[in-house]
Amino acid sequence: MEERVDFTRSSPPEQIINFSCEMGRQLLQNGAEIYRVEDSLQRLLAAYGYAKAEIFAIPFCIILTIQEGDHNYTKSVRIQTVANNLRRLNELNALCRDLCRETPPIGESWWRLKQILKEPVYPPVVGYCAHGMVASFFTLFWGGTWVDALLAFPCGLLVKLVVTAMRRAKINVFFTDMLACMVLALGPEILRSLGCPIQADRIIIGTIMLLVPGVAITNGMRDVLVGDFLTAMTRFAEVLIVSLSIAVGVAAAITVTRFFLGGLL
Amino acid sequence: MQDWMSCLYAFFGCGAFCFIFEMRRWRFILTAAGIGLMAQVSYLLLSEFSTVSQLLLATIVTATLAEIFARVLKTPATVFLIVGIIPLVPGGGLYYTMESLVNGDMQMFTQYGMETVASAGAIAVGSSLVSAVTRIIAVRRAAQRQRRQRELEEQEQQE
Repeated sequence: MEERVDFTRSSPPEQIINFSCEMGRQLLQNGAEIYRVEDSLQRLLAAYGYAKAEIFAIPFCIILTIQEGDHNYTKSVRIQTVANNLRRLNELNALCRDLCRETPPIGESWWRLKQILKEPVYPPVVGYCAHGMVASFFTLFWGGTWVDALLAFPCGLLVKLVVTAMRRAKINVFFTDMLACMVLALGPEILRSLGCPIQADRIIIGTIMLLVPGVAITNGMRDVLVGDFLTAMTRFAEVLIVSLSIAVGVAAAITVTRFFLGGLL
Repeated sequence: MQDWMSCLYAFFGCGAFCFIFEMRRWRFILTAAGIGLMAQVSYLLLSEFSTVSQLLLATIVTATLAEIFARVLKTPATVFLIVGIIPLVPGGGLYYTMESLVNGDMQMFTQYGMETVASAGAIAVGSSLVSAVTRIIAVRRAAQRQRRQRELEEQEQQE
């Protein structure tokens, strides 16, 4: 071991490893790419005097090992929920850089990390409205009329409602997205079958944009590049499964509507 | 005209997405929405090309913008890329693929299906291409900075 940094050794390795793991967990939960997590932790540990840290991260787990003399310290964290809070990602990234430069005592680092986590998130109302607005604007984007956009707003709200409820019940992504898609597609399809002059396809496409796995696509691609094929496979599977569930949900809604209402026309 | 209005809709749609992703600072939200707008603008400007190369080039433009603004605002590029790429995602293709499957139109199903997969592939290739180039530039710059610093230190020692 290199014995170059002595002043940081006032913090015992257990504390440093605990802090680094929490940092990694927060980065990963809030939409950082895997290489960013590994790279940030490597730099952080190097700054605190552990140049030979071994870090392994996949989208659901981080394993971290540091060595001091002949002692090895290992900790692993399991990531189960994903928040995708991009503001937090931005601030955590900045904090990580600051810590690498300043290497304050670990207590202060904890305090700064907790300060970031304490900042308030938007109230649910904003989330619901944002879902509605996204659905409306993307309906217009895909060529819908203003009437279609107005109808898309409640569809967006429904998506948020279903996703929140299913997440609380800890049901997996496949069924969540399938059900959300079915629910959102049923309304416009029924209205169309009843003869309303709306473009159901545009409404459904606009609202589907809410469920598209944007984070998985973007981050998966950036991870392929670094040669992290394990993560790339996971992300690719996620994209595939989510797209499939969207497709199945839409198909189910169309089929059900035609089955029950097709005879009316 | 309808086409160009879609750029505006992309701007507001991406802006609303920022709130879903909990972004708070207006500078970030406006930048992300603006990148979404530029994605659609570049997509429309490149309409002479075939669908896939059109998407590929538009993705390259979008990802480049995201990387540049990430450097300017000192934040990870994913923040802008996640939101900005959304107007290019082939949501319509996915829907029409399923609709033709339900209708039992296998010819349209394969056509739409292949198109959707190819579009997704184009976006993937485009964004990773830009990411690769930025990485090369970043590594080179870091090496240059190190070399310059070493030279300075050597000069100081000589003096």
